[in-house]
Amino acid sequence: MTSPMPSAAPFQVAADPGAVPPAPTAPSQGGAGRSPGRLAWLRFRRDRTGVLSAWVVLFFFVAGLAAPLIAKLYGKDPYTTYGQNQSGLLNDFGFPIKPNGGISGDFWFGIEPQLGRDVFTLLLYGIRNSLLIATVTTLLVTLLGVAVGITAGYLGGRIDNLVGRIIDILLAFPSTLFFIAFWPVMISIFVSPEDNTPTWLIVVSLISVMTAFGWAPMARLLRGEVLALREREFVEAAKVTGASPARIIFKELLPNLWTPILIQGTLALPMYVTTEAALAFLGVGLQDPTPDWGVMIQRGSQVYQNDITYMLFPGLTMVIFVIAFNLLGDSVRDALDPKIRR
Amino acid sequence: MSLSRRNFVIATSVAAGGSMVLSACSSGGGGDTAGSGSSAGTTKYSAVTIGTKDDSTGPAPEVAGAKKGGTIHAIGPDDFSHLDPQRIYYSWNSTVANLYVRCLTGYKIAPGGSMKLVGDLATDTGTMSDGGKTWTFTLKDGLKWEDGSELTVDDVRHGIERGFASFTTEGATYVQTWLTGSTDFRSVYKGPYGGKHLDSIVTDTAKKTITFHLKTPRGDLNWALAMHSYGAVPVKHDTKEKYDKDPVSAGPYRIKQHSVDKSMTLVRNTHWDPKTDAIRTAYPDSFTFEFGPEGLQATDRLIADSGTDQYAVMAYSGVPAERIQKVISTPDLKSRTANGLLTGLYYYAINCKRVTDLRVRQALNYAWPLEQIRKIYGGPSAGDYATTILSPDIAGRVKYDAYGKLTKPQGDTAKAKALLKEAGKLGQKIVYTYPQGASDAYDKTKVVIANALKEAGFDPVVKPVESTSYYDQIQQIDNQFDVMWFGWSPDWPAAYTLIQPLFDGTTIANGANNVSQLNVKWVNSAIKKDAAITDTVKSEAAWAALDKEIMQKEAPIIPETYQRRFYLYGTKVGGAEFDPLFSAFILYKLYAKS
Repeated sequence: MTSPMPSAAPFQVAADPGAVPPAPTAPSQGGAGRSPGRLAWLRFRRDRTGVLSAWVVLFFFVAGLAAPLIAKLYGKDPYTTYGQNQSGLLNDFGFPIKPNGGISGDFWFGIEPQLGRDVFTLLLYGIRNSLLIATVTTLLVTLLGVAVGITAGYLGGRIDNLVGRIIDILLAFPSTLFFIAFWPVMISIFVSPEDNTPTWLIVVSLISVMTAFGWAPMARLLRGEVLALREREFVEAAKVTGASPARIIFKELLPNLWTPILIQGTLALPMYVTTEAALAFLGVGLQDPTPDWGVMIQRGSQVYQNDITYMLFPGLTMVIFVIAFNLLGDSVRDALDPKIRR
Repeated sequence: MSLSRRNFVIATSVAAGGSMVLSACSSGGGGDTAGSGSSAGTTKYSAVTIGTKDDSTGPAPEVAGAKKGGTIHAIGPDDFSHLDPQRIYYSWNSTVANLYVRCLTGYKIAPGGSMKLVGDLATDTGTMSDGGKTWTFTLKDGLKWEDGSELTVDDVRHGIERGFASFTTEGATYVQTWLTGSTDFRSVYKGPYGGKHLDSIVTDTAKKTITFHLKTPRGDLNWALAMHSYGAVPVKHDTKEKYDKDPVSAGPYRIKQHSVDKSMTLVRNTHWDPKTDAIRTAYPDSFTFEFGPEGLQATDRLIADSGTDQYAVMAYSGVPAERIQKVISTPDLKSRTANGLLTGLYYYAINCKRVTDLRVRQALNYAWPLEQIRKIYGGPSAGDYATTILSPDIAGRVKYDAYGKLTKPQGDTAKAKALLKEAGKLGQKIVYTYPQGASDAYDKTKVVIANALKEAGFDPVVKPVESTSYYDQIQQIDNQFDVMWFGWSPDWPAAYTLIQPLFDGTTIANGANNVSQLNVKWVNSAIKKDAAITDTVKSEAAWAALDKEIMQKEAPIIPETYQRRFYLYGTKVGGAEFDPLFSAFILYKLYAKS
């Protein structure tokens, strides 16, 4: 953990909000005139693994965002059951006839067993939907966790006690069970029994429930960090100069907490991709025919003995994405906080 | 009248079987099976016959090569919901009830699956007199309970009278209704616990006879009495509600230990005399049941075939669609399977109260994508397309194809659209429902169903219902579903047990099985008329004609498949045969190889 130079802290951070105050080693590496952000960027660019991971992650996000465009160029969509409509693609058991999961010039990644949909577009749209849900959830969870955690830790006393108990309850709460029980009820309130459940409603409810139950670990972690930080001299100094609690929280404490936040955040994103898949499996998340990355993997694990290819593509992409994202998180932390070296 | 939910059991796993010989497939590719699909199926349908007194005399024919001793392990996803015979209706409970419950009559199953109705506790299948209103059965000698006391006619009567008690609502209700002449039979007689016996059953302890006096003539009482709901219960050891936990055995095995949802052990009942039993053999010393593993898990364990799993069988969930190709195309695994067609019909009930236009119901029949659905279940190995209400094993069933489903199994959406247009109902909303969580397959079939309906000009709405409350919800009269997944097995192989519960408009009630809510005068009166015919040949022809007429003139359902189920057993299990009645292994014919 960086400990900023006490005397300079309030002014320096105010001058460059959002960045960590310069570390003692910074001048020797960068030289005069460069901002801490600039220094971090330079350090990041020197980290080959980090840059590569960044490109991979970027690639996934671009592929997800541009999925409709790619599907259009490719000429297929993830909803048509090609294998069922055309003969010669699936055998009597519903598995692809051609080797390697039915890979051909028409179907680059093969076709799905049983329903016979195109795996390539299914995967693209699955990545798109899963990343959308996971990213939004991670952002919300981080935001909420950071705000609650720092506030509780800094203010202490009764508020800390109250927040602490709420966190305890949330952590002990069987959120998955709750969601399974509560979700159909909620849907029946919002949706007439004679209408299809709109996908946006499923997405919004997924995000809100995962956020509601997800912020607690982040908040608890940050509360602990803040408890240690608030007794430090630079906070004392800020208090003495008459800074408001809000100012101390956001300008003094927060900049020192980027490391745990980043680590938690990068761990959370892949976790939400899998959580969302698990919920879908239990019948409360995204449902067929809406493509979903996690659901594809689960499906793959059921048919892998006959059609390993179907598991390979979603599985491999998921592994690559999760590793790249974690490596990226590491690199960013290293860049921001050069004192901790691996 | 009836409340069979055998279908529930059948529903829990879409499984498949068949006799295909496939070329081994490359990893990742499914392999081409073109041309081999049509030859699926080893089991032929055969009508059940009534056996003679000789057929009813024990001991049961030996299974060739069988030897005594050892333990057979059975793996199933769920515990048995009931052990009290009067509360048994589901076929999966019946598979184990076969080992400890005995009824007046029972089915003797020959190798290959042909069945005969024979006397089990009774010396024969009963004597009918008074035009079907009086039935007399004589008990065999040497029948004993597991404690060594004699099984008497009073115990047999007690078993039937218990069917009137307030806590046995889960069981069959045919005989109670016939004895009292009222579907509300519990208001006529409250069960044996008040110290009163039913006037319509007369027992003679000296002559060992039991006589039934029915209010309406029934030529098929002896069939109904073969249901485990009418099994004998000892008067002395009846613990009422608690009997469900520890029933007393009259069969070759008794329950030694049972931890709910975990395991159950049955051991030999030393007081059972094989000479009294024409149906059961008893080779293993014990049976153990393990509850929990789902079909896929159990399949993988049996494929691995290690340790005690060599002595294991799949209790009642079959090989799932994901493994069926592997199992059928590997000769070693194929040789360790038993398969057969289920007795029942799977269909989609159309809610006639909501979909009132016949042309719309016909359009649904035309549009339904049977081929795509069956491909998801596992192709021809998963069963045969259904076009009739009566399943092929029903005596007298006549095959017809009212909606061209055999020539165009993928669905004729153009014809459906034309019919819809003619009815002026283009774009009609169709709310389709299925049990969610019971099987992955239904989450897949909904996609092809919705696609086909869209193509035919409907506006499909898919509303899955959680599987544990599925039946309760669709069996509400005022439900909001148009097309509901459903299935039905006959309680004995007669058309009456299929058509009456499903299409008699007078039975419509919350919780009743007329899910289509078809209430048409001519159907109701035809059912009444056909049920009264005592001549077998005429009755069979009348039901077959009614079957066709209902489908053509009312189209209240979309028949789907007569499903095939496929079970694996370990390498050290012998005598494995498919039970054509309860669609599982015939446990009492199994033996452990050394």
